[in-house]
Amino acid sequence: MNADVLAGLVLASAATSLLATACGSLVGLVVGMIPGMTISTGIIILLPLTFVLAPQISIALLLGLYVGGMTGGSFSAILLNIPGTPSASATAIDGYPMARRGEAGRALGISISASFAGGMASFLCLFLIAPLLADVALSFRTPDMFALVLFGLTIICSFAARSLVKALLSAVLGLLIVTIGQDPVMGTARFTFGEVEMLGGIHFLTAMIGLFAIPQLVENLAPGGALAAPVQRIAPGWRAVLPSLADLRAIRLAVAMGSGLGAGLGIMPGVGGPIAAFIAYDYARRTSRRPEEFGKGSPEGVAAPEAANNGVTGGALIPMMTLGIPGDPVTAILIGALMIHGLAPGPLLFIERADFAYGIIFSFLWANVFGILIAFAGLRVLVRLLAMPKPLLMPLVAVLCVVGSYALANSFFDVMVMFLFGVLGLAMRWAGLPVVPLLLALVLGRQVEETLRVSLTGSQGDVTVFLTSPISLAFLLLSVVSVVWSLRPRGGWIAAASGRRAGPRQTPEGS
Amino acid sequence: MRKRDVATAAVFLALGAAAAAMTAALPERSLPNTPGPAFFPWVATVAMLALACVLLARGLTAPPQAGDMEETSPAGTAPMLALLGAFVAYIALLPRLGFLLASAPFIAGLTVLYGERRPAVVALTAVAATAALYVAFRHVFQIILPQGVLTGVVP
Repeated sequence: MNADVLAGLVLASAATSLLATACGSLVGLVVGMIPGMTISTGIIILLPLTFVLAPQISIALLLGLYVGGMTGGSFSAILLNIPGTPSASATAIDGYPMARRGEAGRALGISISASFAGGMASFLCLFLIAPLLADVALSFRTPDMFALVLFGLTIICSFAARSLVKALLSAVLGLLIVTIGQDPVMGTARFTFGEVEMLGGIHFLTAMIGLFAIPQLVENLAPGGALAAPVQRIAPGWRAVLPSLADLRAIRLAVAMGSGLGAGLGIMPGVGGPIAAFIAYDYARRTSRRPEEFGKGSPEGVAAPEAANNGVTGGALIPMMTLGIPGDPVTAILIGALMIHGLAPGPLLFIERADFAYGIIFSFLWANVFGILIAFAGLRVLVRLLAMPKPLLMPLVAVLCVVGSYALANSFFDVMVMFLFGVLGLAMRWAGLPVVPLLLALVLGRQVEETLRVSLTGSQGDVTVFLTSPISLAFLLLSVVSVVWSLRPRGGWIAAASGRRAGPRQTPEGS
Repeated sequence: MRKRDVATAAVFLALGAAAAAMTAALPERSLPNTPGPAFFPWVATVAMLALACVLLARGLTAPPQAGDMEETSPAGTAPMLALLGAFVAYIALLPRLGFLLASAPFIAGLTVLYGERRPAVVALTAVAATAALYVAFRHVFQIILPQGVLTGVVP
């Protein structure tokens, strides 16, 4: 085994890292499970800790949460018919009918096992593809990096909303906000209104806390809702939960398809768990021997989306680690957590800190292992938390938003920024603008500006520099394709021509 | 006409105009043929204005929708404003009163806002949650929390 791979395994398997992964998995399962709390909320809860913990431990904690949250989302989808996270929406279609006919334990067992299989498949993808992609990315020059980051932004916009114009407006707003502070090339102060605190710009972690948490706190003000729904009971005994060999045999194709689709789609920024889960569900139904059972409580209908949404997690880590491009809010936070500790994700991470890069990959493996262990061992205790009262949870989340944004730099300015972004998030929700493009523009904006300006400075203002490099040209063409693709009529050109309508598009918001 | 889109476009047009005015005032410190500090803000501003024009045109020409400008949040406006007001008060008082004294009434207020009406439960939640968060962050994870008037009084 390569020395760096071994060093990474040792880092990820240290007692503190393992403990952090297990804690993250537990928190992830809980926040993923409780309707009204998403994986992003869980991250906001743990964010202040990542400022003080060592980088490897912080990442282990967040990865545990990411993977655990994806699995936990299915618990409430099955037991309440309310997905705990958007990624578990497809699971409810067959999971809840299974629970209604007294097979809640069986559905949960299948869901946890499929999640584990999806997670392991995506670990393999991550382990095998990430180092290769990092090698390729090392040869990228500045114009190529600009085209790549631009592609990351446009593809996120094309997936993020029903209206491409609104998604692009959201991204452009983010790019404009990023220009606040010192310019990245010359250090000129821009839009600071003479305030010293504005010189450093807006930190995207502060912005993210406000953008995600405050609209969610407002949404949870609605009376009744999720937590008032009746919870389906799980039959007593282990056999009610552990999937039988016959079940495992029945779902193997759906799981394989879901895992592959999830990991493959996860690599594309912006696809996210919900889209992958619905695509996997659709494919599983089409290829099933018993398609008539779908929608009425088919085990395959539970297994395919669960394998897919956990498959996405490892896939999404690939562009995040090798190119520094986040695919969803969770990977954006992971980038933030790394940057706080002076570690910039990107191809150089595999050269300068290869042990750490492999440490992340192996922590992801452990996150999946703890995910299945804690989910099976603690299932009966965990589902009791579904009855946890909102008046207890939501005030804690509110305080943690403030503590998290304050702890970033011990600054009340950041707390105010967090709150203003919360109000912005509410306004954007009213206007139907997706927040994910804004967030990712905040993460990638400085890189967009820097690479654009450095490229143009190098070429003396000649814009053809982006067209003469084959890599840059390819990414620019892909950007155009992603925009044109998102402008297509719902259900495709042919369907539009024949007047057929397709269902609504899913958004990766909040995972 | 779709009023919500028209209103959104109008806000972005105003924002774009303000950004353009501020960008025009940025100092030009650049070598010939190289982009200066104002270059990227111009790119973003022009893109914003162009996209806002597209949204405006689409909003004006789209067929009208029933309840277009109505509240979309199931929670209603009054509880939302109460929550935002509580946040403003909390953020304003936090530097002066410190974490312990500012958080307890904030948590109590929110507990009531989220539907708990029993005074004893509200008080207990506020005190216990504040104390638990303080101990966890300050002493277990060593995160600095604002002390306010209690500086030097509590460990």
